[in-house]
Amino acid sequence: MTEWFDLDQDEERAVAAFMTRVAELRIPDPGSRIPDPAELWCKATLLRRWEAERRAQRPLDIMQPIEIAGGLVAAGLLLYWSLPYLL
Amino acid sequence: MGRLDEATFAAFHARTSRPLRAYVLRVVGNVSDADDIVQEAFLRMLRADVPADNEEHLRRYLYRVASNLIVDRWRRSRHEEGEEMMPEPASPRPRYEDDAAVAKIFAELKPRDRALLWLAYVEGESHEEIASSLGVGRRGVKVMLFRARRRLRDLLQARGLLVNS
Repeated sequence: MTEWFDLDQDEERAVAAFMTRVAELRIPDPGSRIPDPAELWCKATLLRRWEAERRAQRPLDIMQPIEIAGGLVAAGLLLYWSLPYLL
Repeated sequence: MGRLDEATFAAFHARTSRPLRAYVLRVVGNVSDADDIVQEAFLRMLRADVPADNEEHLRRYLYRVASNLIVDRWRRSRHEEGEEMMPEPASPRPRYEDDAAVAKIFAELKPRDRALLWLAYVEGESHEEIASSLGVGRRGVKVMLFRARRRLRDLLQARGLLVNS
């Protein structure tokens, strides 16, 4: 941390001393709400599995409306071609 | 490249969760938000399937994710409030020994400045390491860190905690 991006020595000392005090500040409630590693591991495994399922499902979801539209077009064409014979 | 297994993760979590929480808490200034961010950072790291051969690389990845989450939260809260939060007017000469006064002065800095100063002074990271932890360029870190120190100096000066020689 040198070069021209520097404060003068007194200022640098004051900033460093202040940051030492910040580091010493008490951290409230170390237990708190952070789940233990086993719980985090379990959550992450579940999330990964859901993501994999969603990825696998996506092409099927995209294809479904295309299949329906294709079926309707085919049915329409069939009706159009067979109309002279039906009348 | 090896993948993280549960036992390795438990050991990594035991070593990193407290310092990470201290970092996030000092930058965010709110226990509940800090805990949410720490949890989310660990989850994202696990879901990203980061190679586990190098613990330092994992740690840096974790800090980068946490730093991004801090910035996201800060932007969201700023957006919700509709304007940038203005620092409260300086109280006259808070005592340096007073924890609340120290925390209050530090909280007056922007979250990005707090993150930079914490990583540089408390974690003792180099410019390269800070750049990697925050996901910014190395040259940018030099400039941003200089500005953060200057802003902290100004705050200390305003409270008479720094006398120019």
